[in-house]
Amino acid sequence: MTDSTTLDGGAPPIELRHVSKQFPTSGGGSLVVLDDVSLTMPRGQTTAVIGPSGTGKSVLLKHIVGLLRPDSGEVRVFGVDMATAPEKRVYEVRKRVGMLFQDGALFDSLSTGDNIAFPLARHRSDLTAKERRERVEHVLEMVELPGLYNRPTSALSGGQRKRVGLARAIVTEPELVLFDEPNSGLDPMTSDAIDALIVSMKEKLHVTFVVISHDIVGTLNVADRICMLYAGKVVANGTTAEVTHSDHPMVRRFLGRNLVLPEPGDPAMATLPHIG
Amino acid sequence: MSWLASIGRFAGFCFAVARANAFRMPPPGRTIEEAYRIGVQSLPVLLTISVFVGTNLSLQGYNAFQPMGGQRLVGMFVALAGVRELAPIIAAAMVAAKAGTEMASQIAVMRTREQIDALEVMAVNPLWWLVTPRLLGIILVMPALTILAIFTTIAASWLVATAQLGLNGTDFLDYVRGSIHARDLVACEIKGMLFGVVICLVSCYCGFQSSKGPEGVGQATNAAVVVSSVTCVSLNFLISQVLYGG
Repeated sequence: MTDSTTLDGGAPPIELRHVSKQFPTSGGGSLVVLDDVSLTMPRGQTTAVIGPSGTGKSVLLKHIVGLLRPDSGEVRVFGVDMATAPEKRVYEVRKRVGMLFQDGALFDSLSTGDNIAFPLARHRSDLTAKERRERVEHVLEMVELPGLYNRPTSALSGGQRKRVGLARAIVTEPELVLFDEPNSGLDPMTSDAIDALIVSMKEKLHVTFVVISHDIVGTLNVADRICMLYAGKVVANGTTAEVTHSDHPMVRRFLGRNLVLPEPGDPAMATLPHIG
Repeated sequence: MSWLASIGRFAGFCFAVARANAFRMPPPGRTIEEAYRIGVQSLPVLLTISVFVGTNLSLQGYNAFQPMGGQRLVGMFVALAGVRELAPIIAAAMVAAKAGTEMASQIAVMRTREQIDALEVMAVNPLWWLVTPRLLGIILVMPALTILAIFTTIAASWLVATAQLGLNGTDFLDYVRGSIHARDLVACEIKGMLFGVVICLVSCYCGFQSSKGPEGVGQATNAAVVVSSVTCVSLNFLISQVLYGG
């Protein structure tokens, strides 16, 4: 399995080159969260980044949108180095990106519809208020929540918050949509519904999706490609079929939902970086 | 040396706020909304406190001057202590307690719930969107709140002086007028605006720097009111030293 290449020959939407990141710990040491990660996520496909909790998946996502800067290496989104580009350039890139946060990250002071309209109101001054409203109602229908424009966000359930977050992420018709743990905190049925929504969105929008998850079933449902992180390193990266048939011990353990970490001396340990 | 590092980080925050606003208009509509909210939130408690500060100034002034036969000087005492010093500080303390804590806790909660990250990802500078309207709003309302605190303090003092202590009301007001000059009122307004800037920047900074979770929100709120109040009182001393220190 090797890093994927772009499908259309253009710059890949996301390219990470030798990205490393560590955080200081309270004991005065440091915790390596990303360790020399190199990865390309191809255009028009859904790449799932999986791995046990605390292996750097969300940190990786925050690097992609420029909320964190790597200690070393490059994170390129649409060819722009998110760590070194001027703020204006980074914001231009972000206008092409939508993101669904774990809890939706909806603004409590705004209604459901105003939350979804927020990026339109900020960046699409060419649209009239009526056109914005129509577009918001259209995406509300896409996420199967018609008629909720005026509902306060405090009255939404967990699954509805995710859907509204998704509606806000796609309302500007971005080229790249990022999902941070779309199934976390949801019951299995709502979780399946969100997965189905992601698949249907991908079919309708034909954009690049990146899904951060530790939910195996959900990942297999939505992903074209899978990248598995463990202890800050990429331990598997390829098509869904390639990764599910991988004989890498950590991948087998994870896909088998056996999240017991290997004991010292276990051959799997030899493949892992030192955390310290 | 951690306090020195904190000052450095706060200076960096202020610089980032200035940079976020360079050559751009504030978020439309939000400044008036924030000014209204800050003013309306702080007004009831400010008026209540000002009333009781005024009543007590009269009582204590009377007790201090009456044994020397100088009870007519109560008006001057109220003017010097109340108008020059206490009114701006009361306004600042109440705005810090009401609006400042709300700013810190709102921003800290937004940070915990990833709403600030969401603003960034939607290509909206959070400093511009969250701090600028609050800063302009507080600058707009602080002079008005300070003036209201002044007049409420004087009115309450006058009421106690005439109704309870039996002083001549016209005499009282003459002494107030004779002790307060236009430059005192201008100084009060400038103090009010400066305190507003301090309260807003400190409170927003505490919100942005908070650690995630309920504990972080509580700590940010607490730090906002303590740091901004202490800073305003210290600043008040420095300004009074410059203006009235002789």
